[in-house]
Amino acid sequence: MKAERLFRAIGLVDEGLIEAAAETPAKKRPVWRRYAAAAACLMVLCGAGAVYLITGGFRGYGASAGGSGINNAGGAADAVTFMSYAGPVLPLTTAEENPGVTAERRTDWDFTPRTDPEGYDSQWGATVTDSYVLRNPTDTDVTLTLLYPIVGGIKDLLSIDPSVTVNGEKAETELVIGDYAGGFGGAGGGDTSTLNLRYPSQWTDYQALLDGGDYRETVTGTQIPADMPVTVYTFTDFEAPTEQYQAATQAVTFTADETRTTVLSYGFEGYGWDERTGEITYSYFVPDGQRRSKTDKKLIVIGTDLTGYTLQGYQDGGCDSGEEIEGVSCTVTRSETTLHETLLTLCREILDTMEENPGYYGWLSEAAEILNPETYCLLAERALEQYGLLSDKPVDRYDSGRLDELMDEVLSVDRVLYLKTEVTVPTGGTAEVTAQYWKAPSFDFACSGSEHRNLQGYDLMTTLDSTLAFTAQTASVTHAENVQITGQNIGFDPENGVTEVKLDPNQPHYYLEIQPVPKETD
Amino acid sequence: MDDTQIIDLYWDRDQGAITATAGKYGSFLHALSWNILRSHHDAEECVNDTYFRAWNAIPPERPGALRAWLGRITRNLSLDRWKAGRTQSRGAGMETLLGELDECIPDHRGPEQAAEERVLAECVSAFLRGQTTDNRYIFLRRYWYGEDIAAIAKRLDCGESRVKSALFRTRKALRAFLEKEGIVV
Repeated sequence: MKAERLFRAIGLVDEGLIEAAAETPAKKRPVWRRYAAAAACLMVLCGAGAVYLITGGFRGYGASAGGSGINNAGGAADAVTFMSYAGPVLPLTTAEENPGVTAERRTDWDFTPRTDPEGYDSQWGATVTDSYVLRNPTDTDVTLTLLYPIVGGIKDLLSIDPSVTVNGEKAETELVIGDYAGGFGGAGGGDTSTLNLRYPSQWTDYQALLDGGDYRETVTGTQIPADMPVTVYTFTDFEAPTEQYQAATQAVTFTADETRTTVLSYGFEGYGWDERTGEITYSYFVPDGQRRSKTDKKLIVIGTDLTGYTLQGYQDGGCDSGEEIEGVSCTVTRSETTLHETLLTLCREILDTMEENPGYYGWLSEAAEILNPETYCLLAERALEQYGLLSDKPVDRYDSGRLDELMDEVLSVDRVLYLKTEVTVPTGGTAEVTAQYWKAPSFDFACSGSEHRNLQGYDLMTTLDSTLAFTAQTASVTHAENVQITGQNIGFDPENGVTEVKLDPNQPHYYLEIQPVPKETD
Repeated sequence: MDDTQIIDLYWDRDQGAITATAGKYGSFLHALSWNILRSHHDAEECVNDTYFRAWNAIPPERPGALRAWLGRITRNLSLDRWKAGRTQSRGAGMETLLGELDECIPDHRGPEQAAEERVLAECVSAFLRGQTTDNRYIFLRRYWYGEDIAAIAKRLDCGESRVKSALFRTRKALRAFLEKEGIVV
């Protein structure tokens, strides 16, 4: 039946169009472009210290999952393309463009099973030990700022557990957080929206990201806090007849000149714009002490302040006419401050909530043990300036002005994280630097039915974005008896005792694919 | 609860995910299904099946737009149920919807030129992006959400004749667009 096929096809039209038709005849893009441009200018002035950036979702899962690890360059044409790509092991680099030292590198994958948080041994991932002997051929001592890059999200840091030793002593390191390593895209099939996260899906994506050094240089610049003035409306002390209406909703409605006013929201689940009346409505489910919802709601107004607003309670989140209810109330507090101070307060609240109630944020909560509010705030501002409403071209994912997803994704998206420390290499002498961390593998989802379900993939970049002059590189595997190597372009042959292989620094990329050796109990 | 948190519950295998989904989107999904089936009992079953599908799909899925993602599932389940039950005179709403859409499809080309649904969907998306905001809204409320003309008119605070007129013009324009694109279904 012709019409039935068309009906089904209409079901597949862009999600953005469906969402736009969900609540109002047309959705207005909140208006902050001018301020975004101003903020971007501020960023150009920045210059110092550790900088931190963005993120979002679980690597490679869901709509944003990309194929990964396709290695059709550098002699890796037979490598598997994984559904979830973990990123490569990257080489040590320095903040100095010409450090004046040479380096010998040795990289080891240790496949000793890891004990997971539940106490079970798991043949998942590998401990990477990446060692360097730096040699100073000059006639003066050389002091270098070392940057050891690791691919991962902030929330991964506890499990990655990275460390750096210099000449056998554990070094004090500063965490320098790079920008989101991926991009944004549609759901496929011609969808040109930027609603979904697009993580790097193969080693060449990291090559493109890091080659030339711009990414690293940006990371080591300084970020100026977003000090633009804002008016903040904070909603607290919620009341509603939630026993009668389980989804009781509070709506806040106002009008605003979009050329003068832009609004960011946090803690609001609903947003609508009436094209005919110009009324903007934000709404939230009234917290009932049981529902997992944020307890503090904020509307952050940039530009001309609101001239007023109305509050109305509804039976549910539909906020439909005829479903108004009495007894819904809250306290609204208005304050004037800066965007930076507002976001800093928000970051403190989020991190406090994570510490007090880790279950609320799930796996993101680990980030609370890593980040301080100031760093978190700068990362959020950076995300707003790069992709959100402070950007001159916000991505669809963040263009509604909702901070909720953005604040979470700052903690979760993949980046390049740098461990920064200093070392002095004496004239005519050497210094030994070793980085060690747990490396998750690239993999295919267990439920995918993929023929590669049990494979674990690892990539290694030999010289990408490193300022060091490599004279030799070696790769090795430890406890290879626990795994079966199913693919590689390195040359390991553990059964015949070949567990260490010299690498060619001129070859940019090596890969290794393994399967756990089944145990008798498996 | 925002969508990210709901999806996290699915990933945590927390059955609260279903409760949260039902609380936020249950009414929407039920209305969507009822618009097609005109049977509250059947709509309820389709919505419950939608939750079951979502539970099985997330993970590994992480939908970028949860409402539309769930709606697509409900819509397809409802259409399948309508097809299974139409001999029992169910789903008068669906008969009407399909009758209107029938006129959009060019039919003078051979079946060998039949387009895949996804290609067709891309064309329809492109077509809709070129429409006025109101026409796009009316078309999608009618043929994606399955809403009746009176309800759309109420939403827009306008007369039903304006909605009918807009739908008529948009269907004509879609037919012309699909013909130009060489699409036949």
